[in-house]
Amino acid sequence: MIKIAMIGGGAGGLITTSKLSAELSEEIKQEKVSITIFDRKETQEFQPGYLETAFRGTKPEKLKRPVDKLISKGVKIVHANCASIDLDNHQIITEKNQEKHDFDYVIVSTGCSPDYSQIPGLREANMDFYTDAEVSSRIFSTLQTIKSGRIVVGIAGLPYKCPPSPNEAAFMADEYLRRHDMRKNVDITFITPYTRIYTAEPINEVIEPLYSERDIESRTVFNTDSVDPAKKVITSLEGDTVKYDYLFLTPPHKPAAFLKGTDFADDEGWVKVDKRDLHITDHDYAFAIGDTNNIPTSKAGVEAHLEGIVVANNLAMNVTGEGTKHFFTGRTQCSMETGFHHATFVVGTYDRPVEKIKPTVTNYAEKKVMEEIYWASLHGHYEWLFKYHFKRDYFAESPS
Amino acid sequence: MTIYNVDSKGTACPGPITDLIRAYRKASNGDIIILQATDPGVVPDSKAWCGMTKNELVDTKENNGEYEVTIKVTAKK
Repeated sequence: MIKIAMIGGGAGGLITTSKLSAELSEEIKQEKVSITIFDRKETQEFQPGYLETAFRGTKPEKLKRPVDKLISKGVKIVHANCASIDLDNHQIITEKNQEKHDFDYVIVSTGCSPDYSQIPGLREANMDFYTDAEVSSRIFSTLQTIKSGRIVVGIAGLPYKCPPSPNEAAFMADEYLRRHDMRKNVDITFITPYTRIYTAEPINEVIEPLYSERDIESRTVFNTDSVDPAKKVITSLEGDTVKYDYLFLTPPHKPAAFLKGTDFADDEGWVKVDKRDLHITDHDYAFAIGDTNNIPTSKAGVEAHLEGIVVANNLAMNVTGEGTKHFFTGRTQCSMETGFHHATFVVGTYDRPVEKIKPTVTNYAEKKVMEEIYWASLHGHYEWLFKYHFKRDYFAESPS
Repeated sequence: MTIYNVDSKGTACPGPITDLIRAYRKASNGDIIILQATDPGVVPDSKAWCGMTKNELVDTKENNGEYEVTIKVTAKK
């Protein structure tokens, strides 16, 4: 039997195994192939919804579904996290009971999570919309109590997931305060280590005027070094300071701990892969998709999705000997809400720079459609729609 | 003095500047960051970043579509 191990049961892991189970349904029925997800968590959360929870008060339970109900037919799950992978010997060891599991193919899709250890004081001072839905809901509880003062949002460190989300936080906080007639009493400051409010110039050209219109202050090239929760001051690496009353910063992110120190990850633990076919360097039976790899694209769900489709296709092709190899195009499709039912998208590929797309209600509606179809899309039910939408960027048929 | 060799070849904006900022976080005053990239935007972006952060842009080179930017870290507190 050919054993396929998926390390991580998030969006990337679920979409990839969904496609694999569809492509290899006959082989699974005949017990020639097994697909197993390894992940301790029992609940999957709709992470793009964290902003809605933080700034619009969506209840955390609305963002959750049991993982067991999201797994496609023919896919098994072991509710244990991976403790280590021995790629040379085709074996993983789980945290739970140190169980050993052999594999023929392995896909790492363990995502990334906030790393508060990099910035002293940040954990004590900050509330974020990345950790989970419950933590995100604390922002809304706080927002409802704000009468005056300064909210600071922005990027505290790199890398982080969902590139537009710090800007969305600025716009959504502004919208909330305006709708509640509190904006005149509350300042909003956006900080970023980049030289622009949004690092890609075409999108910066779109949102910079909105910052002015909405009276959102920005501090570019601000490299957050530390936060003093007692004095409520952020200090940069260069010694500049920003005062805050409420802090909703985006922390730097880290990969899963077991990856750090392995020979297939960089010195921070991001897995080194070929950016076109996602195989782990020197191991053509091992892959890494989504936030956990080191390719030069956004850490966002759409990347995990499109990378997963490529890997599943190629892996199924290896098993069946049929089909053609696919390659990842580097396509991004990150929505950026700009408040008041408007949104833009950050769209680009490895070969095409980010486009200038103005915020519209239509874009906002498209974002909302994605929210509606998210859970079904994890089962692969809307691949026809993604294929239609992404067209030539859905996958490439050659590596360049 | 430590020299940080940062390979951003094959990445497009904001890849090189992201890699530069990540290396800068680890570096100390007096250290050198050598940023290699294939994205031509690396030169104006690095110049702007150095100007705004008050770090020293030591040199920029271009050879067959590959760029090398050398920065001396001078602005940390």
